[in-house]
Amino acid sequence: MKMGLQISKIRHRLLTFNKKRDFNVKMAASILKNIVFTSTRSILPKTLRISTCIHHKVPKRNYDQYRMRYLKEMYQKRLDVGPEKQRRRSEWINWNYDAEIYAFGQRLGEDFNESTLRQAFINRSYVEGERKKRAELGIDINAVPLQLEDNTQLADDGFALMSSYVKVYLRNIYPYMFEEGISAVHDYLTTDKMLAHIAKHIGCEDLILSEEIPVMESTLSTAFKAVIGALFNDKGQEQAERFVRDFVLPQLIEEDINQLWHIVNPMGLLKAMLSLSGKGEPEPRLLWKSGINTIMSLYWVGIYSDKEFIAKSPGETVLIAEEMAAREAIKKIMKTDDSRAPLVLGNAAENLMLDYNRVNLSAEDIIRKYYESPHPQKDFSTS
Amino acid sequence: MANSAIPRDFLKNVLQNGMGRYVCQLQRITFRFCKSHPGSRHMRDFVENHLLDFTKKNPGVVVYLQPRRHRPPSIVAEFLNGRRETMEMIGKEPGEICKWTEHMRGRSGVQIVNMIRNNHTETPSTQGIWHPFMFRDSTTALAKFPSSQYSAVKQTGKTATDFILEEVKKK
Repeated sequence: MKMGLQISKIRHRLLTFNKKRDFNVKMAASILKNIVFTSTRSILPKTLRISTCIHHKVPKRNYDQYRMRYLKEMYQKRLDVGPEKQRRRSEWINWNYDAEIYAFGQRLGEDFNESTLRQAFINRSYVEGERKKRAELGIDINAVPLQLEDNTQLADDGFALMSSYVKVYLRNIYPYMFEEGISAVHDYLTTDKMLAHIAKHIGCEDLILSEEIPVMESTLSTAFKAVIGALFNDKGQEQAERFVRDFVLPQLIEEDINQLWHIVNPMGLLKAMLSLSGKGEPEPRLLWKSGINTIMSLYWVGIYSDKEFIAKSPGETVLIAEEMAAREAIKKIMKTDDSRAPLVLGNAAENLMLDYNRVNLSAEDIIRKYYESPHPQKDFSTS
Repeated sequence: MANSAIPRDFLKNVLQNGMGRYVCQLQRITFRFCKSHPGSRHMRDFVENHLLDFTKKNPGVVVYLQPRRHRPPSIVAEFLNGRRETMEMIGKEPGEICKWTEHMRGRSGVQIVNMIRNNHTETPSTQGIWHPFMFRDSTTALAKFPSSQYSAVKQTGKTATDFILEEVKKK
């Protein structure tokens, strides 16, 4: 009897709801909850049908007058208050640092030591900030020591390993490339910008503990190096090198490695190289020209040595074309032209035999040897 | 909407993913639902029966459950490139929620736009692209035009006229 009374009451309230447009949705939902939990099953479908009316949007042809004024007001308020404050991801309610740290290792397929990994994400600025906070609160640091260690040491270890491995790998993959070129490619791969890009895309950004917000490139880069360092300390050199090969070296794909090394005087280098390998002087010849009186002029210059073709290249003027052809020739000698074999990465690189003591030829040495040695046909004009 | 205003892009591979090691680009996913409202019925069913399978298969994705009183169910996917996508799950059954979760897991996180082409490369040709001088004899560079040598008709073999004249001669 009591139950019946209650249901009829609710029905009455729901019916009146249809008339009242500004009825609170929360209220309606609480009514529904009452029905679901207190009434019998037989009345459920009917009431549910009423409840679906709450969310059903009836298309309207008119604009509410108040809405425009409301939105204008809110827009003005936003302009007055300014943009939303930038927040750390950890400030939101759905955040669990332990779970995030665990998932980081799982995502990369690496079995990290958890405490080392945690340390790899602690930036120096965070430790300093914590110290400052404690000092402000009047806590004696000597009595209660701050048991936080930043990632500087790990990052140094990681960078040393990454740097040496990248160079060893490149020297073995491009055995004819000059040492200067290898260094240029290495520098490109180990810039803060590149390492920050990689760090972001493996999920370091939200895990980093630092003072600044948003996280700076240098902080991201340090954290990435520290992750490599952590792997090196816990799992050994081989595993850390595999990590570098899988995440750092693929960034060279689709990158023109010849453009990374800027050669100041390609013709001088080419001359020295040909002379030292016992070939004749490089001889540039004009192959074709087109539209020379227009702004779209085109010259093709070929370079020959001992009447043998080496390389050719186009250019807007004869001088540009000659320089480009010399670059093309150096590219061919270094065996880094576009038709070179792709990098050995992934599973194929597991059995890669790398010579760790290998050092490639240095362009500087070659030029010095050529111009310092007595030579009959020496021409200093191009040096 | 004007065609030029619709975003279009080439196919992208974030971080050259899969060249070295594959990294799932979905970093965390939040399931938001109400504990009591019938609108979240399917989401609750999904959480009870299917969610653990997903977490076991993908330990690299952090899963959060966020109960919100009397609000419609939705999923929020956060990707490694910093993008965050929400998707309403109103009226979607557990099977469908499973599919959308898988959809989020398999994505790179890049905004879905019109593909200009289905394939893309930075090096379209390894042997060099074609140019008008590619197969031209370099002796033409020195020639003065008009020249009788290069103006002559190219003899490529026996023509039909030659053939007929020969046949007439035979007879």
